Amino acid sequence: MSHPLSPPAEILRATGLHAGYGAGDIIKGVDAALGQGRIVTIIGPNGSGKSTLIKTLAGLLPARQGEIELEGQRLNELSAPKRVRAGIAYVPQEYNVFRNLTVLENLQIAREFMGAGRSHHRVLDDEVAGLFPELGTHHKTQAGNLSGGQRQMLAFACALTVRPKVLMLDEPSAGLSPKYMSDVFDKVKRVNAMGVSILMVEQNAREALRISHTCIVLAGGRVRAVAPASEVLGMKDLNSLYLGDAQATLH
Amino acid sequence: MLQTTFNGIITGVIMTLPALAVTLLFGVLKFPNFAVGAMMTVAAYMAFALNAQLGWPLLPATAAAALAMGTLCIGIDHVTFKPLRERGGITLMVASLGLGFILENIARFAYGNSARSFAIELARPFRIADVRMNQEQMITLGVSTAAMILMYLLLTRSPMGRAMRAVADNPSLALVRGIESPRVIRWTWFIAGMLLAVGGVLIGMDRALEPPMGSNYLISVFAAAILGGLGSPLGAFVGALVIGVVSELSTLVVPPNYRIGVPLCAIAVILIFRPQGLFGHPYIRK
Repeated sequence: MSHPLSPPAEILRATGLHAGYGAGDIIKGVDAALGQGRIVTIIGPNGSGKSTLIKTLAGLLPARQGEIELEGQRLNELSAPKRVRAGIAYVPQEYNVFRNLTVLENLQIAREFMGAGRSHHRVLDDEVAGLFPELGTHHKTQAGNLSGGQRQMLAFACALTVRPKVLMLDEPSAGLSPKYMSDVFDKVKRVNAMGVSILMVEQNAREALRISHTCIVLAGGRVRAVAPASEVLGMKDLNSLYLGDAQATLH
Repeated sequence: MLQTTFNGIITGVIMTLPALAVTLLFGVLKFPNFAVGAMMTVAAYMAFALNAQLGWPLLPATAAAALAMGTLCIGIDHVTFKPLRERGGITLMVASLGLGFILENIARFAYGNSARSFAIELARPFRIADVRMNQEQMITLGVSTAAMILMYLLLTRSPMGRAMRAVADNPSLALVRGIESPRVIRWTWFIAGMLLAVGGVLIGMDRALEPPMGSNYLISVFAAAILGGLGSPLGAFVGALVIGVVSELSTLVVPPNYRIGVPLCAIAVILIFRPQGLFGHPYIRK
């Protein structure tokens, strides 16, 4: 596939990807790429296959057809835990912390199982700990007792305990108050500045695109457009681009 | 009254280990394993073979039986439950019922129906504050307490224990946090098998060895695990003590042979009024 904007080097790539639940495919031949050091945001209407795509990349759903490559290495056969250790961290949309475990235990698990046997004295290195100052004061709190925003921050921190090459986020701002929402996007930007390439699925398209390099529009399980984020943001009819069907049903 | 309460505590303490096994297995594998009774029986007979037939002292015999049962449980899972894992909890539960019959009857086939006992020296019971206690009861208290402390440390301080709790909490998140669930499942079976083996030996010491010895405790053990909240290790401990004491105390008001009704009533009452148990979390369907 030829890109309108050719990114520096591709770190993660999907080619002709098919996946789904039961009999039918939800994503039908998706080609998508994440450039090294980039933030790519996938937008699209409900049911367009955004979450299915990201789950397939994470290894929670098998790819029925097509290829997934990380730095040119085929990932298809790797289980989800092995993909994590290969350097792809994934933060699911909901239920993204172990609610019955404490904040510290959540971080310990991430440190112990996500990395290939790396050991550290502290669960978070200074740079990551600096991103999430409020977690330090909640170490003994059960994760289920945190607020939605705090849980999102914990999920984020867990995914970053071992510096991943790629961070995949499924609707990081879903259900958050406006304050936390801008906080989340600010964190995404800072994590990216640490050298982590980011692929995210987002409903709050404008806020997400403001920090993104590239936008992928997904509809009906297929890629409809790939464009620089600034270009998509400049479009007057941004809503029609991805809300087309949804808006029609509103009236 | 004091004596009855003490006896109830001992009965409860005996059930803590199998109740913990039930709750761990349920947490990680999401099905009620009704073969735990028969697994205790088989393990108790293993210890009996080493102790009474080969002349080993009971402690090493129990340790060997625990290791053997833990390993056997991994094997049982591999041939019985693993192929059915994707079929859902009910299928696995029915499989566990069948497995229970098979295991119990293997024990019956090997050792017959008559009651047997371990080769241990009888000691005179002693009295503290008018409560009659015997040596076996003290051993039961000590062994169960030690096992519970070890389990607590394992579940909270070791990476594998944390991983077991993580899988119980949210299996798909566990995968993307890098936890290999087959390994966690194997460890869970191994630990459950060891707990059941020690539980089986304690029952054999308290009563006698006979093929239905484990399944006699099945309802009480499940009542304990459900009362505590399936999946909650602390709950299993508290639930077992409560069910044990209440069952024994019930004999003060109802004939002793109706004692078995107490855990059954407890299960009904808990499921109606607090289905998540004392320490469990309400089940959220995703």
